[in-house]
Amino acid sequence: MFTTRMIQLFAVVLGKDCEQVTEALLGEGVMQFVGMSEFEGEKPENLSTVKPKVPLTEISELRKRTEGLLHSGGIIPSAPEETHLNDRAPVAVEKERSYLDKIASERDSIRERQRGIQQEILKLEDIKRQVDLYGTGISDAALSTRHSFISMQIGKLPALNVKQFEDALRAFPSLSVALGRENDMSHRLLIAMKRDNAQINTILANVGWTKIELPGELRSVKKDVSREISAKLENLAAEQKKLESQANDMVKKEAEHLREVWLNLRVNELFYKVQTNFESSSRTVIFTGWLPSSKKKCLTEKIKKASRGRCYLEWNEPGSKDAIRDEVPVQFNNPKILAPFQMLVSNFGVPRYGDIDPTPFVMPLYLSMFGLMFADLGQGLILAILGIIGACLLKKDDKKKGLYQLSWLIIWCGASSMVFGALVGSFFGTGLFRPLWFDFHGIISGHSARSSMISDVYDILSITIYFGIFVIAIGLIFNWINLIRGGKWAELFFDKGGIFGAWIYAGGIYITSYMVSHNYKGFPAGTTVFLLVGLPSLLLFIKEPYHYFTHAGAHADKKSNLFLAFMNMLMEWIVELLEIFSGYLSNTLSFMRVAGLGIAHVCLMISVFTLANMTSGIGSVLILILGNILVIGLEGLSAGVQALRLSYYEFFTKFFHGTGKLYTPISLNSKI
Amino acid sequence: MAGPLSKYSFINAKLRARISKILPDEKFNQLEQAQSLDEALALLRETPFAGLEEFYSTTGDLKQAELELVRNEIELYRNIRQHLHHNSVELLDALLSRFEIDNLKNAIRIYFDRKIRNRSADLGAHYILYDRIIHDIPIDIILNADNFDEIAGVCEGTPYGQIIKKYYHTVESEESLFRMETAFDHLYYANLLASFDKLDRKDRTIALRLAGVEIDLQNIDWIIRLKNFYALPLEAVLAAIVPGGFNLNKTVIDELYGAQNVKSVLGGFVKNKYPGLSAMLSSQTSDSTSRLLLIRRILEEIMKQEVHRILAGYPFTIGIVLSYFILKKNELARIRTVLNAKQYARKTIKD
Repeated sequence: MFTTRMIQLFAVVLGKDCEQVTEALLGEGVMQFVGMSEFEGEKPENLSTVKPKVPLTEISELRKRTEGLLHSGGIIPSAPEETHLNDRAPVAVEKERSYLDKIASERDSIRERQRGIQQEILKLEDIKRQVDLYGTGISDAALSTRHSFISMQIGKLPALNVKQFEDALRAFPSLSVALGRENDMSHRLLIAMKRDNAQINTILANVGWTKIELPGELRSVKKDVSREISAKLENLAAEQKKLESQANDMVKKEAEHLREVWLNLRVNELFYKVQTNFESSSRTVIFTGWLPSSKKKCLTEKIKKASRGRCYLEWNEPGSKDAIRDEVPVQFNNPKILAPFQMLVSNFGVPRYGDIDPTPFVMPLYLSMFGLMFADLGQGLILAILGIIGACLLKKDDKKKGLYQLSWLIIWCGASSMVFGALVGSFFGTGLFRPLWFDFHGIISGHSARSSMISDVYDILSITIYFGIFVIAIGLIFNWINLIRGGKWAELFFDKGGIFGAWIYAGGIYITSYMVSHNYKGFPAGTTVFLLVGLPSLLLFIKEPYHYFTHAGAHADKKSNLFLAFMNMLMEWIVELLEIFSGYLSNTLSFMRVAGLGIAHVCLMISVFTLANMTSGIGSVLILILGNILVIGLEGLSAGVQALRLSYYEFFTKFFHGTGKLYTPISLNSKI
Repeated sequence: MAGPLSKYSFINAKLRARISKILPDEKFNQLEQAQSLDEALALLRETPFAGLEEFYSTTGDLKQAELELVRNEIELYRNIRQHLHHNSVELLDALLSRFEIDNLKNAIRIYFDRKIRNRSADLGAHYILYDRIIHDIPIDIILNADNFDEIAGVCEGTPYGQIIKKYYHTVESEESLFRMETAFDHLYYANLLASFDKLDRKDRTIALRLAGVEIDLQNIDWIIRLKNFYALPLEAVLAAIVPGGFNLNKTVIDELYGAQNVKSVLGGFVKNKYPGLSAMLSSQTSDSTSRLLLIRRILEEIMKQEVHRILAGYPFTIGIVLSYFILKKNELARIRTVLNAKQYARKTIKD
């Protein structure tokens, strides 16, 4: 019901034991450190922060680089363990940096080569696109005149200049096809873009190109240029593929070593992160922080062992006068089974330390509301199965913990639907069995046996109103418990969710039920109404003057105008009363949505059956299947959202502030 | 006549779901901290940009990957277009024409570099879109053209032919594409503003406001560029300014151009219309570059505020569509900037 009890440690150890104590603290991983700036007046003047041997930023940078390399190879390193802490080696920054630089530069050079090949591919594709447009063959060199963008020519050049020729052409989209060799002259077909004619002609002049007619003996060569280009493209693509796998393999080959480097860097990073919370004098080191009370004994032993007993440990309870004034962190204290509901609570906020953690109450309330809105044994079973599939698929994926918990929530919701389905006798919208509580479908479709206590829609609406009153009452009681535990006595009475507010609410409920029981023709006696609503309303008027006088200092400048102050109090009182009356009324009526959604669910199923009855055979079965899928998807989502909305806005707002600070100790598992 | 609910309920739900997938600032911080392009791209796995890494690791070519981003963005516009009410389709086409205009500008730049500046243009030709966006523009012919007449001829029948015809003599005589490109931008904004006429009153007000802020951004960008890099006279600047700005009227632009300290002029409308941003103006700026950066930051903040205002307000308006495009455009621009910075940093280190 409450979060974990916390305790604050104030410790002094000798400077020479600093490393061992740091390791002990990190290994235990339970301390949420408090900055020494929180000291008020007591901080010794000669304290200074502990300087790490290697700057933390450098270690972090190296760790991130290593991590980045591992990520690029598809490897996610797992958190270090105790053995890695015991084997912690000092970080050789330069060595690690040059190792990472080496890998990065190797990979960069592969990328550079890939880029070069890609440029070649793009140029060839450019040519191919043009050639494909006109479907030319090599024997038809004269075709070039008809082409808009391609220039084709046949010529010869000294065989010795071929390499120079090929290299120079590389800068342009072009293709040079060897046609044959005559003595020391190479005959070639050159295809290039017309737009590059000027530059290409310069190259041709430099390599001794002579334009010729296609030699007679070569005319029979019927090569397809497009095929030629395609072959070249295939070769280049294969080369690209090779380089790609080379880049990927490079990280994978180094993965083992990179992992080791990463673990050592991470351990050192955390080690120095712990030390950033230390303050040191010439011979001693001081630190302070919060941890769960249950860990006190274990941590004491660890610190004493690490410092060989040369330490001073002081333990302070939250709120005690010696505790350093810092907000106490909050650790949820719920069994694993409640994890999906804890997710719903923490999504709203973290309870303040000492306040009630609503998680154990959210579970039955949320499930009851969901079940009432989505009561069907068969559809609930489908939901539960979907949840189980989700949970099985996501169980091992640490990154999708939220979705895993959501799957469990769906399982719970499915189970609740099944229970309520059995209570109202619904199985995929049919009444296959006798309802254990009341016949929801019968009531909505107008053929209820009227044998149970719930016999019409108004009765169903009443259930949800009673349920709402119950939820609001619990919320109010929790608020009082929080206020009593926090010693906020004035708020206990004057808060909207305090005793006077609740008194008015209880009075309102009595008056309403009195009227209902008298068929809206009777009203309670004036004295009763005054005692139930008037008196607490008047008592609430004390709130503003009480605040005014208890915070007199703050109003020092306004004291001169008491009339204005009185008018202000009057207005505040009226507004507060309006808020209480309208707030409680709307909060209670808001629960009628539970009945509304439940009725909508039944109505949808009735519609599905009506539609199915209008046809027969496979069509009817299809309508039933699709209808059920629609109802499960649509109603399941609506019921889930509405139950959450009621929990957040009608229940939580009564007592839950959600302004707590979550307990996040520095440990080997700390989030990166 | 369709009401706002029937016009926008579906697209509103769809786009809000998509907005939730826009990369958060935290992701961009991680990207900025990545030590190399490969690492940055690895961070984009499990995001809608996962394809970038795949593309880059296959080709090593970031520009190709970027071109793929542009293709995806165009596809996105088309996808949203089919879910819009017919009154808003014209607006979407106007927005989509931005890609066509940018692509045409790139093609003309390649031609210009080759013919007027005598530079090799082949590399740029690979990073251009050849597919149809809205009009049939034969990009191939533009790239390989012998003169502007040929380009104007093939663009005949599109809204761009007249502009090319009107400005190409100036381009050739001034050896600068500035006036032609400005005319293209004017055409884009004119079409965009004209497309608002079909919207109903509420939508029109919202669209005018958002487009106005974007025009302001564009105008201020130009003013600063023209003032700092071209030193053009005021008349020439005013001719380049796009009408329809939201915060900047002619008087402000007049002042802005003449002011020694651009910040002092911006202070006026920032303090009046966006008081929350006044603190940004107090940043010390000594040179024109840092001043430029500060102004851009302020304008981006203004755009952010406008978008957030729309997202927090009544949901069934054209605002959601425009806001989504603005957010998406910013996201893509940020990704391009970060990735190029990583690539550039690597090249610098190697050089």
